This record gives sequence, structure tokens and C-alpha cells, in this order.
Amino acid sequence: MPDATDVLGSLLAGGDPNEGQAAMVERTSAIEALPAASREWGEIDARSDAPRWGMLVDTERCIGCWSCAVICRSENDVALGMWWNRILTAGDDLDTPKVGEHGQLEMEWMPLACQHCSDAPCEKVCPTAATYTNDEGIVLVDADKCIGCRYCMAACPYGVRVFNWGEPEKAPGVEEGMVQARPVGTVEKCSLCVHRIGEGQEPSCVVSCPAQARIFGDLNAPDSRINRLLHDRGGDQLLKEKGTQPKVHYLPPRRRRSL
Amino acid sequence: MTTLAPPATPTSPPAERRGPRYAWYATLAVGLGIGLFSYGYQLTGGLAVTGLTNTVTWGLYIVVFMFLVGVSAGGLIVVAGSELVGSHRMESLNRLAVIVSGTAVAAAAVSIIPDLGRPFMAWQMMVSPQLMSPLVWDMAVITVYLTIAGIDLWILTRPKPMPRSLRIMAMITLPVAVLVHSVTAWIFGFLIARPFWNTAILAPLFISSALVSGTALVLIIAWTVRRVSSWEPPSHVFQDLAKLLAWFVAVDFFLLVAELVTAFTSQTEYHLAPLEMLFSGRQAPLFWGQLGFGVLLPFLVYAIPKLRARTGLLVAAAVLSVLGVFAKRVNILMPGMYEPQINLPPGASGGVPGGGFVLDQLYVPTWVEYGVVIGIGAFAATLITIGVRRWVLPQAAAEGADVEDAGDDEAARTH
Repeated sequence: MPDATDVLGSLLAGGDPNEGQAAMVERTSAIEALPAASREWGEIDARSDAPRWGMLVDTERCIGCWSCAVICRSENDVALGMWWNRILTAGDDLDTPKVGEHGQLEMEWMPLACQHCSDAPCEKVCPTAATYTNDEGIVLVDADKCIGCRYCMAACPYGVRVFNWGEPEKAPGVEEGMVQARPVGTVEKCSLCVHRIGEGQEPSCVVSCPAQARIFGDLNAPDSRINRLLHDRGGDQLLKEKGTQPKVHYLPPRRRRSL
Repeated sequence: MTTLAPPATPTSPPAERRGPRYAWYATLAVGLGIGLFSYGYQLTGGLAVTGLTNTVTWGLYIVVFMFLVGVSAGGLIVVAGSELVGSHRMESLNRLAVIVSGTAVAAAAVSIIPDLGRPFMAWQMMVSPQLMSPLVWDMAVITVYLTIAGIDLWILTRPKPMPRSLRIMAMITLPVAVLVHSVTAWIFGFLIARPFWNTAILAPLFISSALVSGTALVLIIAWTVRRVSSWEPPSHVFQDLAKLLAWFVAVDFFLLVAELVTAFTSQTEYHLAPLEMLFSGRQAPLFWGQLGFGVLLPFLVYAIPKLRARTGLLVAAAVLSVLGVFAKRVNILMPGMYEPQINLPPGASGGVPGGGFVLDQLYVPTWVEYGVVIGIGAFAATLITIGVRRWVLPQAAAEGADVEDAGDDEAARTH
């Protein structure tokens, strides 16, 4: 069995973060290097012939711990000062709960990353088609084509895109991620961990969530857990009125959580 | 902000006074130097050296781009418009007007480059254009507009007048001019993410503002050239431009009010937030200043015959109009940028190491951005200076005398 760090090191040599295909072979061996229990934990549950990947965030379960946001950074080699994934807080301020009904204090979290819109405004305005939707419904950025005009950032209603304003910097001593870093002057965002999906693994934010608030799956597979939950409990999309048809859904809390 | 205004200083002193002319050249060289140095600095450090962030992703560069595209309207529309109504009153301004327009659109094309994160990849827009993108349309239509300005200038600098060609060009120019400003407006107007911009009135508003700033700039430059050279247009042209400006300012103001009133009466939050920013918030000084000094004051000068008869006052009003339109561009861009649709703590990531999260972003341009804009201004002023010296002054000098020679000389240079 190869040493995990060696496998990681060999992965860094190549692979396009957006296509993920080149790196897939080596990455598979990295997955294989994991203990069986870890592999099983992250496996995608059901998959149709033509998958359309989506995510469900159960806001009743979310505890606002930022684990998903932090692991996203290391998985995707997100540079200092940038986040692909943030946990927004509904309250007066980050640590000040809002006052709800009957004077009870309430705190709600809204994990926010790319919504992978079916009708993506960012894709429509990109002058070079650097932003595109792949066959499986994932909105991706081809860093090689990006000219850095940031039109997509102006067009995104969710404000989830980040720009490499300067040369990307990493925290001292931090290992590189599982995908190639993007160059200065390009826009980047959540890729739904496209490099993991190819190997049948869920995105790292899903795997890492200690509250199991994130559910990932194939919206086209009738038996997938995401579809069952959407069917049973409904689900909201952010800024639905904009007509962007996000593939990220939010489950509202069934009971209000009071402090 | 005054550094951003197009050149209001002498464009081309007469040959007999070399001192001021060389001083002007030196000023241009310094301006270009500042621009190149600032841009070089930005190229080494990336756009991190600007005041832009993941919330305010567009700033001064885009304002200048909008402004310059707008300014390019004036000259060509004055020429084409009077041509189409069969008026010859503006004829003496033809060459100057086309030079100002061509310069403005060339400078607009240049001004978009520093906004790109990877300018060396810009060719991607040519080899793999995404035809749905208004940015691609704008690139196409700006190229066409620049070509039209070149053809117009060529026609105007022929030794023999070519009224038929000029008429045909006028018929092409007007729709393309409308298109240039509309497409530039649609870059912003199509974005559902920015309700403040997402309004059908944006394109008409861009055209009306363009007419104000473009015509005012032609007036300013015509006055400047007349002051510093022997070129002498008939005195009525300034009055004619002033009358036009009165109409343009009035229409521009009307369209703005129509938009603001509609947005305000809707009383929906995403409409009100940017308006609050304009009426009483961060942008209020610029907004009310623009209405007072950039609209009302100049309008009085243009509209009242006694006032507009005083050329000095008229030019001052035109300068205020140009600054007012610039302020208007800022007031269009910033509220759209400042008001994200999802605005919850802790906000957007700052974008640079140690940047943290920012919920209520304040955008302040850095010296690098001002430097680059100074460079763009100097570039435009240089083009106008060259154009005026080559095509306007010889015409004035040769009036009646050897027009043929001058014309041939110019013909050789244009190609």
C-alpha cells in the first residue's frame, strides 16, 4: 500500500483542476490509499446514466462550524484571503443572534458557495466561454481561457466568485491541495469537487460536515438520497425569482432553533 | 477627480509661440510616463494594487471606459446629424469633431485593458468569443465605430469635398453610434444580479449622457484650439452647440428622473437600497453635486441666451457638464456594485491575504488606478493634439490658399 503523502505528492505534478480527467487515475490511487471506511463514507449513493449533480443543505442540521469551508480551502488549494465556500449568519452581526418571535434569540446559518445554476448568468456573460457547464450540470471555470474581466462576478447574483487579485499565496507550511492552483488574474469558484465526483466520491464539504447537513447526489437518479429528501421535505433555492434554477437546494428548518 | 477630465488645457499652440507648445508636449509626456509606470506596477503586482475587491469588482477603470465611450458620441453625431438634416452650420467643426470622437473611442478601447486580470490573454476574445456576451458585442461595435471615425476623417481630409460619401457615412454613423452606447449600457443592463442596472432605460440614458458629454467636449476643445491657434470657426457654432446642449441636458435629466421615480415608487427593497445610497448615503454628495453643478447650472447657461452669449461662461458650463456626466457614471456603477443581492455577515472574502471578510465595502481607488487613468487621459490628449495639428490647423492656414497641397499631404499621412 503506497504512503498517502507520496501519492498526494505525485498528484501535484499534473492535472487540470477543471477537467479533472488527467489527474483522475492517480487520484484514484490516493482514494484507494484511504482506509476502506473513509472511502465508503464518501461514496456517492446512487447514480443515473446521465447524472445531474446537485446539493442539498439542511439548514436545520447546520451548526455553523465552518468545517466545510475550511476543508474546501485545502482540498481545492484556495489561496489566502479567498473562500469558495462561506457560512453566512442571519442575525444582527456575525455573533449577535437576531431576536425572534416572543423575544427568543435565533441564529440561522446559510452555507453559501456556487449554486451551479441550470441557467447560469455568469456563463451567459463570459466573453471567452471560460465559464461553462459540463455534461453533468456542473458550472466550471477554465482558468486557461479566463482573461480576468470579472464580468461573471458582476453577473452572479450570489456573489460566490472570487478573483486572484494578486499572486495566490498559501499559509506557511500548508500542503498543496488536490487540484492545480489558479494563476493570478483569473476568477475561480466552487467546482463541486469535480475531481472527486469522477471517482465516485462526494465533494469534500459533504464528507467533512460533522452535522451531516450537506447531502450530495444525482438529481436525475430517482433513488438518490437528495431526491428523496427533496421529495419529502421540499426545499428552497436562493433568489429563486431570478430564474437561475440553482442545483443547490436548501431545506428550511422544520422547527425554529432557539437559544 | 479633475485629473480624469479630458484635456481642458491647450491642445495645440500656434507655430509662432514655441514655449507653450513645448510645455504642452512635456505635460503630455509626463502624463504618458505616469500612466505607463502605474500600469507597469500593476502588471507586476496584479490587480491587488487597486482598490477593487471581491465585492466591488469593477471600479474606476470601468467608469472611465463608460465615460470615454460616451464622449465619443458627440463629434460623430454632430457631424452626421447636421449632415442628415442638410445643415452646413457645423461644417467648420467637422474635422475637429471626428478627431475628438475617434480619439475617445480609441481611448475607451485602451482603457478596458488595465481592467483585465490577464491582458495578455485578451486574444481569447477573438479566437473563442462567446457570442451571447455583451462584452463581445461591445468589442465588435467599438471596432466598427473606430473604423467609421477613420473613414469619416479620410473623407473630410480629401482635397475636394465629397458630400455624397459624407451623407452615406452619416446614415451609417448614426445607427452605429446608437448601437455603441446601447451595447455599452447593456453590459450592465442585462445583469439580473444588479437590479439598479437591470432597467430598460439604461441604454437611452447612456445615449443622452453621451450626447451631453460628447458635445460639451467638442465645444471645449474647439474653444481651446481657437484660443491657442489661428483656427477660427464662425462664432455661431458655439451658440449652436450650446442650444443643442440645452436639449441634450434636458433629455438626459428627464430620463434620469423617469428611472429614479419609477424605482422609488416601487418601494421594493432591492430598488430602494441603491436609491438611499444616492439620495442620502455614501453617494449623496456626488449625486446632488452632479444634479446641481453638472445639470442645473450648465443648463441655465445653455438655455438663457444672455448667459450663453458669454463664451467664457459657456465653456465653464461645458466643463461642468463633462464632469457631471463623469460623476453620473460613478453614480451608476457604484450603487450597483455596493449592493449585493445576498448581503449577510460576515460578507465577502477580502480577496488578498489578511483581507478578512468585508460586509460593507467602501471602494477607494489607489494611486495606481489614478496613475493609469492619467496615462489614458494623456494618450487621448496626444491623439487629439496630433490630429488637430495635422488636419485642423493646416485647413485653417490653407483656407483659400493652397488647399490642394495640404490635402495631398494629409492624404499621404492617413494611409
